[in-house]
Amino acid sequence: MDNSIIGERAAQWKNYAIAFVITAAIFATALYASNYFNNRRIAEIRTTQDNISIDILSLETQFELLAEHSCRDISENSVLSKELRPLVDRLSYLEDQSSVDEEELLRLKRYYSLLQIKDLLLMKKVATKCKLKSVFILYFYSNEGDCKDCENQGYVLTALSEQYPQLRIYSFDYNLDLSALQTMLSINDVENKLPALSINDKMYYGLKDIADIEKILPQLATLGKTATTTPKEKALR
Amino acid sequence: MFGDGVVYTLLFVSLYFEVFLLVTFLEKRAGRSASSAVKGVSSLPRVCIVVPCLNEEQTLAHAMASVFALQYPRELMDIIIVDDGSTDRTLQIAEEFVRACPVVGAERHIRVFHKKNGGKHTALNLALQNTDAEIIGCLDADSTVAPDALMRVVSIFGNPDISAVTPGVHVKKPKTALQHIQNAEYALSVFNRFMFATLGSVFITPGAFSMYRTKTVRDLGGWRHGHSTEDMELALRMQKNGHKIANAPAAAVYTATPKTLKGLFRQRVRWTYGFLRNFVDYKFMFGNRAYGNLGLFILPTALISIGTGIYFFVRILWYGLENIYDTFARIAITGIAPHPSFDIFYFNTSALLIIALVTITLVLILISAGSLIGTGRRMPPAGTPLFILLYGFLVPLWISAAVFRAIFKMGVRWR
Repeated sequence: MDNSIIGERAAQWKNYAIAFVITAAIFATALYASNYFNNRRIAEIRTTQDNISIDILSLETQFELLAEHSCRDISENSVLSKELRPLVDRLSYLEDQSSVDEEELLRLKRYYSLLQIKDLLLMKKVATKCKLKSVFILYFYSNEGDCKDCENQGYVLTALSEQYPQLRIYSFDYNLDLSALQTMLSINDVENKLPALSINDKMYYGLKDIADIEKILPQLATLGKTATTTPKEKALR
Repeated sequence: MFGDGVVYTLLFVSLYFEVFLLVTFLEKRAGRSASSAVKGVSSLPRVCIVVPCLNEEQTLAHAMASVFALQYPRELMDIIIVDDGSTDRTLQIAEEFVRACPVVGAERHIRVFHKKNGGKHTALNLALQNTDAEIIGCLDADSTVAPDALMRVVSIFGNPDISAVTPGVHVKKPKTALQHIQNAEYALSVFNRFMFATLGSVFITPGAFSMYRTKTVRDLGGWRHGHSTEDMELALRMQKNGHKIANAPAAAVYTATPKTLKGLFRQRVRWTYGFLRNFVDYKFMFGNRAYGNLGLFILPTALISIGTGIYFFVRILWYGLENIYDTFARIAITGIAPHPSFDIFYFNTSALLIIALVTITLVLILISAGSLIGTGRRMPPAGTPLFILLYGFLVPLWISAAVFRAIFKMGVRWR
């Protein structure tokens, strides 16, 4: 065996070529696998959003039938708390992945934002009709690098929603190209000074920590704190 | 985006290097017996074993015991202990070996020289001037050698084209976690050295029991200081002059390794410093087709690996610290510590992680291959998991220090 060592100093291009092909194949497989798993994630989110859409439609139909049913039949948290909330975390995670179809992700974000707006409108109607003491917080952020406090504001709202699971927090990408969102920005007179919070239809700009929000919303105390684990509400960054 | 490009490029080079070695290894092994039995040698050459010492009173006896246990005719062994200005009892211990040694023919086959401290290369050159043996090699006083190692090495010199043979170097009785990590590293080195020999690209002939044709070393002018890495300098000089260096992985040598991080750091700074300075001295070999695989692939990749180590270390450190800072900032703002998610949705399936896992798996395979050709054992050393987990974080420490010293030509000390 040792004698075979001799006389092979000259480069053997065949082995270099084989090694290159194998290495390239490993890279291609890794990229394909990563892409495949991300596509699976996107498909999962899409399915969830479709289900939410059906749920909202169902709730809207319930609401239309409210005259024939009592408010007890309207389950306030049936949509948002169960499925809509975790989606924001998942979308946020996918935004950080390099091998994700950005077009598809943008489409999912727009869909998500639309579902949030529909849920918001519906829940406001339900709250009015059923005289519920619901608290709504709209959070506007930017992830284009022009909002250094947006990430922290997201963490604050996540922590807040964990403390007060009945709190209804909706997060929107200020720069998202969605006509319904642009209309909502216009109605609320949201300026491009992010992060921005709309709390009970009043705008607040700049980072607000939990104490600030508790000060703005003294009625939070009546919602009651909970120690139970609930799905995270995390602003899309 | 630029950062990702650099990461992918460096990972590609690292993976390519491993795949290339593995492809070549499998090609060489195909259809060949795995047996590494010693071949018969019709006439054995006279061999000079030099044991250079500097304050080795604790270890010299072990090294000498292993030399005496070598399965090689005594009359064909010329053992030279060179005391390079020791200030402890090294010289007395060496002389006791001479007194206890029987006379073979008209002369004792063990001699002791004492000289003023001048460095390992001067000790070796003194022995070179005072031997008539056909083969000469060095055994560091902190190392021991397996009984059949010399015969395995000498059998390769049966081929007249071979000018030097390197052994398989292993960690001597690993005890601490750090030594077990080094044990896995040495198993990987056994594989690499074997493959480099296969590619005619050995650029280090370890001080622990590498053997040379005496005439070759004399013709080349003997050993040089070589920025405190005389073994690397001589190997590069041999390559420059077209000499062939073989490897006998089953010729086992066991060397003492640092027990502490401080000791390891000092040793590796010296090695890496010598590596870099010798690279500068022999820079004409880089990318030079005249030196085949060595010039075109092995040396450039070795240099890139230094940059890769530093780059990944800085990147991991940077993002790690940033992550810690963000987490503390988040806790400070919200008052709540983030809790990990076990949702399968968040399981990391990035291409980067998949490639990194493949690279680690290949390292594991190469270590196992090194263990197989070096010791015959199929299982990798026990320290392999620790090696894979921690080594990447240790290497940049001494690489950075060595690069700094090499840039400013600050030099390094042996001890």
